[in-house]
Amino acid sequence: MSNEVLLVQQGSLYPALHRLEQQGWIEAEIKPAASGRTAKFYSLTVAGQKQLEHELNQWERLSAAIRMVVEPA
Amino acid sequence: MIPIRQRFLLRLRSLFRREELDDELASEFEFHLAEQKAELVAQGRSEAEAEAEARRLFGPVTPLRAQCRETRRTQWLEDLFLDTKHAVRSLRATRSFSAVAILTLGLGIGANTAFFSTAYGILFRPLPYPEPEQIVEVVDGFSGVGPVTALRGMGKAVDYAGYSTPQAVNLQLPGEAVRANVSSVSFNLGRVLGVHPQLGRWFSATEELSPTPPPVILSHHYWRSRFQASPAILGRQILIDERPHVIAGVMPASFRFPSPQTDLWRPIDLDPRLAGQNWGSGGFIAIGRLLPGATLVAAQGEIRTFAAPIRAQFPWPMPEAYGASAAVIRHDRAQSEAFRPKLLVLAAATLLLLLIACSNVGNLLLARGIARQREFVMREALGASRNRLLRQVLTENLVLVVLGGALGLLFALAIARTLPQLFPSDTPRLAEVSTDPALLLGAAVSLLVTVLLFTAAPLASSRWKRSSSRGSVTASRRAVVFSLGLIGLELAFATTLLIGAGLMGHTLWELSTVDPGFTATGLVSARVSAGPSRCAGRARCLALLEEIERALLSQPATRRVHWANAAPLEKEFAAAASELEDHPRQPRDPAPMLWRSVTSPGYFSALGIPILAGRAFTAADRADAPLVTIISRSTAERYWPGKSPIGKKIRSLADLQWRTVVGVAGDVAQYSLSGFPSWVEGVQYLPLSQTIFDGKQSLNLALLLETRSQEWQAVLQRTYPDIVVSNIQTLRELRSASVADQRSTATLLGLFAGLGLLLGMTGVHGVVAHRAAQRTKELGIRLTLGATPGQLVQTVLRETVLVAFGGAGLGVALAYPASSYLKSLVFGIPIHDPLSFALSPALLIATALAAAVVPALRAVHRDPVNALRQD
Repeated sequence: MSNEVLLVQQGSLYPALHRLEQQGWIEAEIKPAASGRTAKFYSLTVAGQKQLEHELNQWERLSAAIRMVVEPA
Repeated sequence: MIPIRQRFLLRLRSLFRREELDDELASEFEFHLAEQKAELVAQGRSEAEAEAEARRLFGPVTPLRAQCRETRRTQWLEDLFLDTKHAVRSLRATRSFSAVAILTLGLGIGANTAFFSTAYGILFRPLPYPEPEQIVEVVDGFSGVGPVTALRGMGKAVDYAGYSTPQAVNLQLPGEAVRANVSSVSFNLGRVLGVHPQLGRWFSATEELSPTPPPVILSHHYWRSRFQASPAILGRQILIDERPHVIAGVMPASFRFPSPQTDLWRPIDLDPRLAGQNWGSGGFIAIGRLLPGATLVAAQGEIRTFAAPIRAQFPWPMPEAYGASAAVIRHDRAQSEAFRPKLLVLAAATLLLLLIACSNVGNLLLARGIARQREFVMREALGASRNRLLRQVLTENLVLVVLGGALGLLFALAIARTLPQLFPSDTPRLAEVSTDPALLLGAAVSLLVTVLLFTAAPLASSRWKRSSSRGSVTASRRAVVFSLGLIGLELAFATTLLIGAGLMGHTLWELSTVDPGFTATGLVSARVSAGPSRCAGRARCLALLEEIERALLSQPATRRVHWANAAPLEKEFAAAASELEDHPRQPRDPAPMLWRSVTSPGYFSALGIPILAGRAFTAADRADAPLVTIISRSTAERYWPGKSPIGKKIRSLADLQWRTVVGVAGDVAQYSLSGFPSWVEGVQYLPLSQTIFDGKQSLNLALLLETRSQEWQAVLQRTYPDIVVSNIQTLRELRSASVADQRSTATLLGLFAGLGLLLGMTGVHGVVAHRAAQRTKELGIRLTLGATPGQLVQTVLRETVLVAFGGAGLGVALAYPASSYLKSLVFGIPIHDPLSFALSPALLIATALAAAVVPALRAVHRDPVNALRQD
């Protein structure tokens, strides 16, 4: 049950993807998929790469800070 | 961050290729579901099961799609477009509502915009000089060429210059003589104002020392009208009062200083022989520019310290109090001071009109909102968010405002031309008034805000409360109270306007019934002026007048000819500090000022002015006969109450010659119908033959004619080409012109009040009709239960009566303090004139009831069965 609660509905991915696309961090390309249908393929842009690094750094700093507080020295 | 340009392209794409994007989105979702389903089938689920599970895992498609669209940030634009389309459609569905609302807004906006652009031109538009806010003027002290030129070198905070109010002179042009207005200025005025001639040069310092010939600078309009805008006029000579002057320059069209009527400028003359005149007469005003870093406060601080040194420079001893009340104020303020209270009253009046229009439309919208409650409840139930609904209502209002505003602008443009004509022609800067596009925009924006406030407030609070689960839609109590309150407010404002208009109307009536003290209103008056050589010496001057008289009387149409220094109400000032017998001068008191009328013998009988005691002037009162004078009745009563003034003596402090009082004449409105200014303490008449013509002054008299044709003008012109005849008016016209100020205010206030009343009427009509429609069912029941139509009408009208009385009361309460701003214009009635304060509310209540009766009658005459059947 707890699994169910935490489960994010798959569809919510799309608004997030669209937002990233509008920000210019990812770009989409429409091409045929393995199954033969056309699909939208998303890939990271240069700006997205930079943003990702920035966010990862942030996360590193934040989690390091949390670790320092939570874990005994 | 991605480059702005790229982001812009994305947005553009999302705006114009919306459908394509929606398709992409749909296929993206479809692909996801199909892949998920295939995966589940591969895990061994049945086709149907996989389909359902895939959809469950994905989540609700429609809201997710909406969320994806939201990220494109163009949703609001699409909504706006839809709402606008919807708004236009629904406004078209209720044509009469829309027409009334748009017309009302148009009237309000139009009147406001037109008036404010006019008022702005007079009161607030910056003067056409660099940094006009730095230009200051000295008031209540240091007037005159002597004191002002003395002041010139003293200011540490201000660079001072001086100018005279324009004076009329005779200008001899090739082939004709004309009247022109000349302002004398100090040479540094150009520097102080920061102005330069468009052609030629400005004056230099040495030109204040009586150069021959003195230079003169033309105004742009005079250059165009009299000199055909010829660039070759520089250096040409013209005769001003027979003295040659050389044209040195032409000013640009924007320079209308100190008034638009100014035709020429010439430098002051500091010739020591003119010291008496330069130090003794006023009419020359100190103007200056704040030096860098100086403030008005600093200027004010130093101005009074100059009093002592300037007093010491006078050719004669001056009282110690000289210059003690001098003050420095901004020049633009000094110019518009006299018109400020009146314009503020009119500004307040237009604002009231706009408020009336807004509350009227607000009420219409409210009624419409109530009628549409069900639509909103329905739409909310179907999932529209409240924000979304509010946005739509605002869009509808916006569409109304935009349409009303457009109509208003058209209206404003139409009346903006005629509006300045409603102001008296001596209003400063009237010629500069124009409808500023920026100002139109400003008016439109302010109105937009007003209407948004007016409509959004009731919307947010009281609309579409899910009021009716019973299925019948009635107005909430709050909405009714709000609506009636708005109407009450509207009627209150209309009452205030009506009272203002009433006060001015009553004033005009009083002025029209004032006895001016003279009767011959058909008499023609004209100003006759000639250069000094025509009047060199008294005998020659009197001979000229007799000659003119004979020439005029040779025309059969002209029966009598009289002379005076001024016709009554002509606005020519003449007064002299005097001493009267039995009233010895107190050294500390200022000498009484007596108004001076100089007349030929027949003047009194020609104008129908009664001689109450003694005699009128006769031909025997010649220059060499004993000096005589006549005083007015109130002067006699003031200085010799209960005694006969005949035989008493009066002298002017200028010539110190005693004159004997030989008669008392009835009081005449020489200055204005509402009396003399407070500094005039009496009126004295002198015979023309005994006043000075010393050959230095030019001839400048009022000619009063009893004539049946206009032939006399041609006769004068033929015989005396150098004599200028100007300002030809009958005494009736003079009288009418003298109340132009009151008339223009009365006209404008009357116009506003009429519009306000009209809007109030439509408002009341609308609300009563709407309320009656809302209560159809109730009225039907009452009718069925045996109420008479009369009783029903009473029921419907009860609210209106309440609101009308409340509104009228509030309007009176508002007008009570506000009317004091009209103080300078009201005449002959108390400022809280009982007639205006009683009749105006009465008129308003009567009008409101009349507007309410028709819809009330219509409502109660409906078939009760139909009424009940109605949902």
